Amino acid sequence: MDGYAGNMVYVDLSTGAITIKPTPPELKKDYIGGRGFGIRILTDMVDPKIDPLSDKNILVFAAGPLTGTGIPLGSRYEVSTISPLTGLAVSANSGGVFGWKLKKAGFDAVILSGKSAKPVYLFLDNGKAELRDAAHLWGKTTGETTEAIVDELKDQSVRVSCIGPAGENLVLISCIINEKTRAAGRGGVGAVMGSKNLKAVAARGDLPIKPADEVLLKGVKERVKKKIEENGIAKGLHDYGTAVLVNILNENYLMPTRNFQTAHFSGAEKISGETMTKTILKKPKGCYACIVQCGRVHEFDGETGEGPEYEPDWGFGADCGVDDLKMITRANNICNEYGLDAISAPTTIACLMEMAEKGYVNHPIRFGDANGMLKLVEQIARREDIGDELAEGSFRFATKYGHPELSMSSKKQELPAYDPRGIQGYGLATATSNRGGDHVYGYMISPEILGSPEKLDPYVITGKPQWVKTFQDLTAAIDASGMCLFTSFALGAGDYADLLTATTGVKVDSEELLKVGERIWNLQKLYNIKRGFGRKDDTLPDRLLTEPLKEGAPAGQVSRIHEMLDEYYALRGWDAEGIPTKEKLRELGLI
Amino acid sequence: MKITVKAFAMFREVMDMQIELEFPDGATVRTLLTSLTARYEGLSEVMFAAPDTLRDFVNILRNGRNIHFIAGLDTPLDNGDIIALFPPAAGG
Repeated sequence: MDGYAGNMVYVDLSTGAITIKPTPPELKKDYIGGRGFGIRILTDMVDPKIDPLSDKNILVFAAGPLTGTGIPLGSRYEVSTISPLTGLAVSANSGGVFGWKLKKAGFDAVILSGKSAKPVYLFLDNGKAELRDAAHLWGKTTGETTEAIVDELKDQSVRVSCIGPAGENLVLISCIINEKTRAAGRGGVGAVMGSKNLKAVAARGDLPIKPADEVLLKGVKERVKKKIEENGIAKGLHDYGTAVLVNILNENYLMPTRNFQTAHFSGAEKISGETMTKTILKKPKGCYACIVQCGRVHEFDGETGEGPEYEPDWGFGADCGVDDLKMITRANNICNEYGLDAISAPTTIACLMEMAEKGYVNHPIRFGDANGMLKLVEQIARREDIGDELAEGSFRFATKYGHPELSMSSKKQELPAYDPRGIQGYGLATATSNRGGDHVYGYMISPEILGSPEKLDPYVITGKPQWVKTFQDLTAAIDASGMCLFTSFALGAGDYADLLTATTGVKVDSEELLKVGERIWNLQKLYNIKRGFGRKDDTLPDRLLTEPLKEGAPAGQVSRIHEMLDEYYALRGWDAEGIPTKEKLRELGLI
Repeated sequence: MKITVKAFAMFREVMDMQIELEFPDGATVRTLLTSLTARYEGLSEVMFAAPDTLRDFVNILRNGRNIHFIAGLDTPLDNGDIIALFPPAAGG
């Protein structure tokens, strides 16, 4: 055994044909799993000229070799496809339990092509796969769908990854939700699933997932567990959740507020992780094999659910000018139930709020209107009234009304909860991200704001291109392995390499691990180039490049990505247009 | 001079969430931390790895700027400064 389930299943939704094949050894070696599998399979199978919402697109669900092996925080799976929001090859990462169940059901990856004539769901069951009718599930929320499938299969151990009404309605900012609250969130992956009439993937199984060297893995596991437990950051995540970042970013004057018009929110304390812990938190919760437990189970006024994480807390909070934590939490719950990206949904609403306040759109919503915000979330998911236009994301919406500059997005995907004007490396990372506006394809916030693994001055650009490249490559490899990115606060490349060596039986060191990450990064980049993307797209909204921050220590700063881009491209072995050179492609085995 | 100190996350478990303190001219962040650790039992343990060495990932901001990029513990204080104290924390 080598940590892998051993098989991949190809499902042609047009014909109903199901083919199970062994996971190829060269795919394991060169791409590890997860994001690596997804991007390799996607770019092999899909003509780059296709419409993402056509039956020519595919969806790949893939776990990594470390998913479900009992390694702390080894729970992740990835969904890869061509994004209908950005047009880019995208992978979206999710935790929970589903990734583990996918492998227990016997599969490293599920490749879904074509389009079903009627709503269906895929049931993976101990090495078998079966398409089942989902007509009765269409229109249901993610929670209702999950419960209905579990009831139907009469087995509480079944885990479900599904879309809600937003995905069915082809909302370009819709996501895929597993276990009711964990999201493969970005890129509009839910709409691709909806376009295929695929409501859900359900997994059940008790097949073994065994490492190559159990004795060696036991030792490495103990070492990484100790490192995670002793890392102060893990305790902070457990006690206060990811929303502990609210006060941190706000005190740095770098928390985007009211559609990035400022970067300091007067209501931050009311929506902070500290306040959440004191008020609505019922208990922390973790994904499979998690010893950190950053998830938040909340309960208030007879309502219960999970979250919000930092991103939606900020999005529905500071970015929409709302300081009511309960209303923010309700908005986040609606995103989970309807299957909406809880970053793009609030930031698209924030865009509308600014446009409405400036008179560019005739709509009563204003910053701080929590009730109006909640109504808009549902309207987006249902494509009702103005929600039908907002369902296209902020860029298309703002462009339609003549003000694309008010969409705080990169490559048409909304930016997360950090102001790039005062965090120069992060700005470069998000502007060059292969999937558009993003924070987890290279989390430069860690060294630039949190001081891990070392403190980097967020205001300076010197040295940042190298850091960005390393973080992007390492993250691609971590996402391929099946580990949670939060382990990177405590672990280094050598730890992941040792975990992989013990699990897969193939010796890998830090350098080789980073090379796999770089290979994944370049493959995704190459494909995006074929889809028409280039240097012109590696940028940020004009506001962030030309309007200086006005308050606090970073006052006067703008993002300086264009001063770093040439160096970044050169470090990557790309030409001045950001195209990988033949030498680089040869080095990575891509030609 | 008057300095406002704000504590966050688990630092709030050992000290007040916000406090105003008076210091003579010439005071630094080190002066302030010495005063705070004398005032709050248990703070020194969670703040310092060794005398004069902050624990890994502890971040201290003076008016929104990390003191690491000013003069570390020798960062001078001015009347009206706001000092924010963050224990190790992260998210995403």
